[in-house]
Amino acid sequence: MTAPTREDDAPEPSAVPARETILPVASGSQVIAHTRRVMAKRWRELSAVVALYMMATIAGLIPPSVLGSIVTAVQHGTTAHTIDLDAAVIAGALVAQAVLIRFGSLAGAKLGEALLATFREDFIAGVLGLPLSTVERAGSGDLMTRSSRDINALSVTTRQGVPAMLTAILAVALTIGAIAIDNPVLVAPCLIVVPPIWAVARWYLRRATAGYLRESATWGVITDSLAETVEGARTVEALRLAQARRARADADITECFAAERYTLRLRTVFIPGAEASYILPLAGVLSFGGVAYLNGWCTLGQVTAAALYARALVTPMEQLIDWLDHLQLGAASLARLLGLAEVPADRQPGSAAPRDDRLRAAGVSHAYVPGHDVLHQIDLDVDVGERIAIVGPSGAGKSTLGRLLAGVSGPDSGEISVGTVPLIELPLDDLRGQIALVTQEHHIFQGTLEENITLGQPDASEASVRSALGAVDALDWALALPGGLATAVGAGGLMLSAPQAQQIALARLVLANPHTLVLDEATSLLDPRSARHLEQSLSAVLDGRTVVAIAHRLHTAHDADRVIVMEDGRISESGPHRDLIKAEGAYAALWRSWHGKSPKQHRHAGLTQNDIPQDPVHNPVDNSSTTASRGG
Amino acid sequence: MRQLPVADPGTPDLRSAHHFFMWLMKQQRASVLLGIVWGCAWMVAQALVPAVIGSAIDALAGRRTGAFTFDCLAVLGLGVLTALAGVLRHRRVVMNFLDAAYRIIQLVTAKSAALGNTLAKLITTGEVVSVGTADVDAIGSGVDVTGRGSGAVVALIVVAAILLARSLPLGLIVLIGGPIMTAVVGVLLKPLHHRQQRYRDQQGALATRAADIVAGLRVLRGIGGEPAFRTRYRDQSQQLRFSGVHVARTESFLDAAEVLLPGLFVTAATWIAAHYALHKVITPGQLVTFYAYTSFLAVPLATLTEAADRIVRSQVAAGRVIAILRLRPEVADPEQPSAEPLPGATLIDPESGLTVPPATLLALASDDPAAMARLADRIGGYIPDAGPRLDDVPLASLPVASVRSRILVAANDAHIFAGPLREQVSGASLKPEQAVLAAVSTASAGDVLEAVGLDGALAARGRTLSGGQAQRIRLVRALLADPEILILIEPTSAVDAHTEAAIAASLRTARSGRSTVVVSNSPLLLDQADQVAFIVDGKVAALSTHRELLVTNEAYVAAVARAGEL
Repeated sequence: MTAPTREDDAPEPSAVPARETILPVASGSQVIAHTRRVMAKRWRELSAVVALYMMATIAGLIPPSVLGSIVTAVQHGTTAHTIDLDAAVIAGALVAQAVLIRFGSLAGAKLGEALLATFREDFIAGVLGLPLSTVERAGSGDLMTRSSRDINALSVTTRQGVPAMLTAILAVALTIGAIAIDNPVLVAPCLIVVPPIWAVARWYLRRATAGYLRESATWGVITDSLAETVEGARTVEALRLAQARRARADADITECFAAERYTLRLRTVFIPGAEASYILPLAGVLSFGGVAYLNGWCTLGQVTAAALYARALVTPMEQLIDWLDHLQLGAASLARLLGLAEVPADRQPGSAAPRDDRLRAAGVSHAYVPGHDVLHQIDLDVDVGERIAIVGPSGAGKSTLGRLLAGVSGPDSGEISVGTVPLIELPLDDLRGQIALVTQEHHIFQGTLEENITLGQPDASEASVRSALGAVDALDWALALPGGLATAVGAGGLMLSAPQAQQIALARLVLANPHTLVLDEATSLLDPRSARHLEQSLSAVLDGRTVVAIAHRLHTAHDADRVIVMEDGRISESGPHRDLIKAEGAYAALWRSWHGKSPKQHRHAGLTQNDIPQDPVHNPVDNSSTTASRGG
Repeated sequence: MRQLPVADPGTPDLRSAHHFFMWLMKQQRASVLLGIVWGCAWMVAQALVPAVIGSAIDALAGRRTGAFTFDCLAVLGLGVLTALAGVLRHRRVVMNFLDAAYRIIQLVTAKSAALGNTLAKLITTGEVVSVGTADVDAIGSGVDVTGRGSGAVVALIVVAAILLARSLPLGLIVLIGGPIMTAVVGVLLKPLHHRQQRYRDQQGALATRAADIVAGLRVLRGIGGEPAFRTRYRDQSQQLRFSGVHVARTESFLDAAEVLLPGLFVTAATWIAAHYALHKVITPGQLVTFYAYTSFLAVPLATLTEAADRIVRSQVAAGRVIAILRLRPEVADPEQPSAEPLPGATLIDPESGLTVPPATLLALASDDPAAMARLADRIGGYIPDAGPRLDDVPLASLPVASVRSRILVAANDAHIFAGPLREQVSGASLKPEQAVLAAVSTASAGDVLEAVGLDGALAARGRTLSGGQAQRIRLVRALLADPEILILIEPTSAVDAHTEAAIAASLRTARSGRSTVVVSNSPLLLDQADQVAFIVDGKVAALSTHRELLVTNEAYVAAVARAGEL
């Protein structure tokens, strides 16, 4: 068994933030040790399977031997009765073989299914236990591959590959054993093929796994590109990319063809070697046997039986060779599935309990790439029940600050604490009870709508689910679904729209009931008016809680107790909306132009001008109530 | 050695699935024939081995050493031939498979690109992708199996000739009994396929569950609920396990039957043959030959069954492929194209009363933003037989490619393709670095450029970008396309106010001398426009500047002022 390779684990090409990680892969020895541990637990079943397979193979070896004795008997003269008897023995052996195969195959399948279930359940348990920061960083591509392709590959290996290999190995060994019993001299020609076959198989297997992985990856690329051409067909037409897409397909095919040619070259060496391995023993046994017979060392029946045995080696040899590279793939997949166990824990939970609910960041700096700080010395005290809005241009570090404030990972330097306990020292379950983070990323899980909301609180009552939905303006459409709250949603069920999914994400949060919430553009997918309305309904529910909202719409800032303007990883302005407007800084200018005022000089960036709006009708601060009902 | 892909996949014969399949074969006629030749040689070489073994046994029995030596060498020779023909056949059919598969992918790609905007109305991505994977595979396999299939037929004929020449009754028993036995086992396997299908469905459902957990992991890890998910997965996994054992129970009986039934047939045939041998009707060697053939016959018979199955599947798959290749785009080139209007033409849409003069930044505000996409589609020439024109020339009377090159409708759902950033924003032809940097600056996308790098890769659908980043990359691409008339639909809906202000401020300069239509209700953008057309019920209700409209038009104020959101 070779050490599993990592070539195919390249992470998704990523943009933000730079992700340095891919998930680890278990080493060859770890895979072997784990397999051994699992097998040891099922030692009895395993021996039963091996014993049944072995007996079945032995029963299958009886007919050629009997036929050999018929040949000898016919040669020397015998009775019809003897032949009838011999035929009955062959039939009996067959029946025995069939019965043994029936039980062996079932026992093997039971064992295989049990192992497979263990492997995949352990894997999913591992996925669910991954540190939050790893999950945030790793992207889903690698995990997705492991959960789909690797579980599948392992399934094929366990369900079909292992039994086939076991049968084949036993068949080859026992057949050669049978030849030895028949006439030990004739074993030699079977064994002479071993060294060349060994060499060819070794050469092939060393290259095959990587070769086939590359091959299937290139087919994957072809499929992906085609899917893109189809999905983006309108864009292809609009930007006149047809030629480029055809060229893309041709380039993908060229890659694929190179990979195919490589594996074809491997097989060009391997196939003649493999084919020769079937026929050489036969030719050898026949010639050796012939010489032995002519010299009177054995009977014609023994030569016949040996030749038939040699011919019977073909099938198990083929199987053995066929499944060897599958087995390698299975082992590589297992290595990736077991690799999750190697992810180090990222929290050092202590025993200290927070004194109060006060969130505090002190001297926080953070970098994704060493040397490129995205946050510089941020200090922020959040009062209990305070609503803070963070605004600022893209890339200012708003989302990073949000993640750190929610305790997803620890800052590189400085400290973020709740009630004087650093977030990173809180056990995950406690942390979740204190602070929750909702980003614009959303996901509807397979299940009912209700299950999607109660995730963390399986005991939540329907009434509380309804009120959570009501708080996010989602109750009306939820009840209007074909099955109401019991409607199956997510993969395979009803597909909710992105804005609806975002409302569900917020409903989960309402139900989870933490004292502090970090909302990172949590309503960005809703149209502006619905978002506005949702935020207002939500604010009723969140009354008394601490909210840190990162927003690209300025009305969120307008409603907040305090606005924090971030630029280049620093806090450039901070204070209540009114104060910032009075201060006539960049925020004030932005607010006016964003709000639809018509300042006199407005041709430049709009961030530096400081004239006061002259339009008395639309005072930004006072006209909040009249049209709220238009939302939703 | 062939080089694939071919430069031009050719014009396929779309009359029927069968015609298409034969067309694929004809494109590589010589190679397919060679595959058949090697397939026959390979199978026949294997088919002769039992006869030679029998002959060798007889030679030994008669102590004819010369004949025996010859037979041994013959076995060896047949072995070498099997190996050689086997690998040559394999190389040939893999190439044939690839030729067919690649050709179909080229055709489907070209067709999808040509269908453009129409595609989504006629067919789902899933359907095309399944054609590009499963169906390509099925058709390739159909092409591939011709070699082995023909070999199996020839091998059966050879075996029949050998057996019948040795003994007519024994030959008939083997030749009639063999296929019957194959058919019986085939019938027994049917219900198993059913059960296996159910198992695979369950397996698929479990895989979906796992994918669901992984896809939602970040959400789940933020809010809790892992134990419930672990339990749910385990329950489903255990169900799959027991259903697997259930299938295995049936399978185990069939495994046994697959050994027992042909085995009993072999035994019966051997028993009769042994009696023949006892009465010297056949020689001991021929007895061995009969015995060996009774089991060998299963190989060509199984190959034939498989070939038939694959050919049928490939025809079905070919049907799906031609269904796609036959589709036609909705907006077609006119038969008699009009003369191209000169550059700097005015775009006029009589239906809405909209006029886009040359070198203008025109903003479209509306009372119903959701309905604006259709207006954009119409003036962009995406709706067949609609009335918009460039100066006096109706869009419908111009070649589609020409309309697309002059007018670009840039929407937020435009696809971001995987590939290097510079290449992907460049569109049809690679743009100079200076131009890319200028467009990046106009679209305030410097942060994306910094994170990805000019030659760094964008992921398909821009999935590694945030919504705001993806939107600005689309804007960069639209600006670089530099069309005469650029129609931007809500180009800043997903960016923060700071960035929106910056984009609004630089858009005008970047597009100076060209026409730009911005569909948006954002005051930041509206204030930058030379003119704002206020669209009510799909028609131009007012045309003026933003400031003017703010004072004069109450409906406009209600639609665009952020007060409406408060």
